Amino acid sequence: MLTLLEQLDKGTLWKIPGGIHPPEMKSLSNASSIARLPLFDEYLLPLPQVGEQASLAVSVGEQVLKGQSLTRGAGHSYLPVHAPTSGTVIAIEPRPSNHASALPVLTLVLKSDGKDDWCTLEGANSDGANTKSVSSEGVNAEKVDIASLSRELILSRIQQAGIAGMGGAAFPSHIKLSPASEIELVIVNGVECEPYITADDRLMREHADDIIAGLEIIHKLLAPKRLIIAIEDNKPAAAEAMGAALNRSHLPAGTARVTQIPTKYPSGGEKQLIQIITGKEVPSGAIPAQLGIVVHNVGTLFAIRDAVVFGKPLIERVVTVTGNTVSKPGNYWVPIGTRVTDVLTYCDFQSEPSQKIIMGGPMMGYALPESKVPILKGSNCILVPASDEIGEMPAEKPCIRCGECAVACPASLLPQQLFWHAKAEEYDKAESYNLKDCIECGCCSYVCPSDIPLVEYYRVAKAAIRHDAEEKRKAERAKVRFEARIARLEEEKNAREAKAREAAEKRKASMVGNEKDAIAAALARVQAKKAAKDDGAVSGVAADGAGAGASVGLSAAVSAGVNNTAATPADAATTAADPKAGVAAAIARAKAKKAAAQAEAGESSAQDQASTDMAAERSTEARADVNPEPSAAQDPKKAAIAAAVARAKAKKAAAQGLSSASDAQTSDAPAIDQAIETGAEDSASNNSDENNANAAATVTPEGKEDPKKAAIAAAVARAKAKKAAKAAQNDGVDAPAADTQDNADAAEKNVTDIAESAGTDGAESAGTDAKASETLTPADAKKAAVAAAVAKAKAKKAAQAQAQASNLQQAEDNEHSSSQRDAQLAQSDNAAEAADVSEIADIDVSNVSNVPDAADGAVAENAAPQADQAQDAEQDSKKARIATAVAKAKAKKAAREQE
Amino acid sequence: MSGIMIAVILLGLLALVFGAILGFAAVKFKVEGNPLADQVEALLPQTQCGQCGYPGCRPYAEAIVGGDKVNKCPPGGVATMEKIAELMGVEPEPLSATTEQQVKKVAYIREDECIGCTKCIQACPVDAIVGAGKLMHTVIAQDCTGCDLCVEPCPVDCIDMIPVTQDLRSWNWKLSAIPVTQLEEEKPC
Repeated sequence: MLTLLEQLDKGTLWKIPGGIHPPEMKSLSNASSIARLPLFDEYLLPLPQVGEQASLAVSVGEQVLKGQSLTRGAGHSYLPVHAPTSGTVIAIEPRPSNHASALPVLTLVLKSDGKDDWCTLEGANSDGANTKSVSSEGVNAEKVDIASLSRELILSRIQQAGIAGMGGAAFPSHIKLSPASEIELVIVNGVECEPYITADDRLMREHADDIIAGLEIIHKLLAPKRLIIAIEDNKPAAAEAMGAALNRSHLPAGTARVTQIPTKYPSGGEKQLIQIITGKEVPSGAIPAQLGIVVHNVGTLFAIRDAVVFGKPLIERVVTVTGNTVSKPGNYWVPIGTRVTDVLTYCDFQSEPSQKIIMGGPMMGYALPESKVPILKGSNCILVPASDEIGEMPAEKPCIRCGECAVACPASLLPQQLFWHAKAEEYDKAESYNLKDCIECGCCSYVCPSDIPLVEYYRVAKAAIRHDAEEKRKAERAKVRFEARIARLEEEKNAREAKAREAAEKRKASMVGNEKDAIAAALARVQAKKAAKDDGAVSGVAADGAGAGASVGLSAAVSAGVNNTAATPADAATTAADPKAGVAAAIARAKAKKAAAQAEAGESSAQDQASTDMAAERSTEARADVNPEPSAAQDPKKAAIAAAVARAKAKKAAAQGLSSASDAQTSDAPAIDQAIETGAEDSASNNSDENNANAAATVTPEGKEDPKKAAIAAAVARAKAKKAAKAAQNDGVDAPAADTQDNADAAEKNVTDIAESAGTDGAESAGTDAKASETLTPADAKKAAVAAAVAKAKAKKAAQAQAQASNLQQAEDNEHSSSQRDAQLAQSDNAAEAADVSEIADIDVSNVSNVPDAADGAVAENAAPQADQAQDAEQDSKKARIATAVAKAKAKKAAREQE
Repeated sequence: MSGIMIAVILLGLLALVFGAILGFAAVKFKVEGNPLADQVEALLPQTQCGQCGYPGCRPYAEAIVGGDKVNKCPPGGVATMEKIAELMGVEPEPLSATTEQQVKKVAYIREDECIGCTKCIQACPVDAIVGAGKLMHTVIAQDCTGCDLCVEPCPVDCIDMIPVTQDLRSWNWKLSAIPVTQLEEEKPC
């Protein structure tokens, strides 16, 4: 038993099943040598020709040179498209394709400039003109030493030259030349079994040495054990030329040979040729490389040699123009992209009625519905037969089950069964008869006595199967995506629910914590108050006392207070600590106020005005708190308002300092001090607000700036006020007082911007939108209540200072209350005394807002027993708002009475 | 008498043994869900368009198994209906939809008109629309099932359903038996 290599060397041939012997008709075109065509006007270059991904490297109107790459790409199977001649890109648009459907594809239209100028060829060792002469006339010029080139360089040159299989399938050659497995045998396909076509025959006769040079490159790349050049025995001249060239070549002796195979159609099919040469059958669905075999067309070898040796891209190929309707049949070097109609015109094509223009051979080619289509890399023949050569197909007759087709089939299929199922559109059954292994050679149609166009049926069936598979794949994909979407929505919903649950729990927890803290803070405040009263009106301990009281209440409150006073931005002001700090600040303010009032003694008007202002401010703040906007947006506003309050207080204190007599100096200074401290406290609360806003991390872009500015301004105001207070304490009366006023004014100026930009907005929107507020967070409601309590306390104090019990004036009430409800509540409040007013307000607030702080604030002032009621009342921002409005209205009234 | 007793005991034992085997098999080889619904679902085109009146292809497949009509799937066309009818062993019925509804389409967003409302994104059953709030949206044509569901919610009507055009890959030899020739004027060169 001989080994395969021995049999290859011996030239043993195997038989393939089926096959036919159609008339060859090759003498029509194989007599003359390959001719050149003149330059035509227009060339059409479909983009991309091979490989899907590519981007254009040129634009419309651009001048290109011959051989210039028109596309860029990076994919493994990417092949560039090159300009076949020099000229201008006049359009890039869909044009009919060289396809049986002639469907339009994106095509670059190149208008020739007639100069045919080469671009600089990369890696060429001869200049462009020389290269051109080499390629066109076949003059054997000096070559690049192939041995000096690396494997990668050769492969990249082959790819960059855009070389695709020129036998018809146009598969990228560089992929075939870099196989994953070991290649033992390279078969050069010079069979050209299809009738009429003589392109490879002429090429082998005229460029045998160049083809062998290409074979040497392949030998270097793949290092196969054997190289077989297979040529049908109806081309003895070509076989002889190739044999002679082989003898002249540098290939190792004994590795390469020319094998003549018997003429039979379709011996030139890749799988059939392998079977003839080696006796091995390429399994269904496999590629020859899996058997260690690679098959290359002679035209491809020629192109590879041009590309590697001269760097010349694949821009032209040999095309057989044949048929009895052309007067100059023969083989031509046709630039790729030349329009079929141009070639035919040059060859004196005389169109007949119902003329067919067949692209490819008579067996496997397809009729072009449109002649203005380009020649592609795989187009080897334009066949324009006269009607007596290839006429209309006779009408299809029923299948008689003769079985001729099965005999003729080179792939050992059962064409009649395939036809049966294809016709019945039972594509799955057709598939089960291995329809995909049909090479569409047309043998079955050729032998069919019933003239059934069997291959047409198979093509339809194949297209339908491909379409179905595509649909199925898409449906599968859609299903996966749909399910993924459902899962995603479900996940999002769960996440939302979990978040809501978490938030609710947090709220609950903070509420419980707050209550306790608030009670403790309230107790602390009561104690502080007492201490303050004991110390007398003049003591500057008020703020300290508040702080100390808070520390008694809860250490957290202290830390919050301290941090706030220090204006540490990194203060982790929790929701629990935040209201407390505010409360403490409010109390401090209240005390400072009282001290100031006592110090003032007689000069009531300024104080009255001040307290009225304060009350108004407080109310505004309270309203701002009830603002229906998101809490994050509220905070900056609140901060600004508080800053404004601080400013007002500092101013007032300064005014007091100015107007007071020199003997009251000792008492005045602390008053100022207290007022300033109050301002500081306010600022502290601002800071805490800001921190809160920061911690919430939901600050709107507009909101982000305001709290910052407010904080800075507040800090500045605070610092100045402090300085002023110190100055007032240490120095004389007039100068420090003026100083204080100056400072306070400066502080005012600083704060004015913020107060106006943010505060007024907030107050206004709060006033107008107050009714719509339903979505407040508990913290806000609490703050509102606290502020309300403070306002009440102030109103009360003002009333006490006045020491008058006067009836409430309803008309004025109506004037100042912004809403109907406010007015009603104020009207229903018949209490003559301000103390009563505050008490009722206390009840209102504590009832509705569940803020012990507020109630306790009230307790600190007048020890109202209603504090108990505060505990279980529902948190209702609306009610809180109402209470606030009431408090505000009362404060206003009180102020008016004073006036 | 004893013979009868033996027979009764023997048969009783046999019944117990087989009962145990059957009980074990019922647990061990339990089939989850309805395999027929899976088969029907595999035939449906998975456009998830809801034109059948069910929210997606799976519910319709289950409804068909439950006895619903087989002709409610316009995207699937006659072929799908016939396959389902064959599977279910029922008579094929004419489709409830017009032929126009059966043309395969792909949504296309006129991008300069899109206001970025994300409504179409929410409507798309296969997440084939990309975009974000106040930013332009676009359809991933590859993944679009042509279900039409995004057209209705669009407040500015900037979504078109474009019939899928054939390219060289999807070209069907039979469909274009008469080749289409592009008529165009000769351009002056």
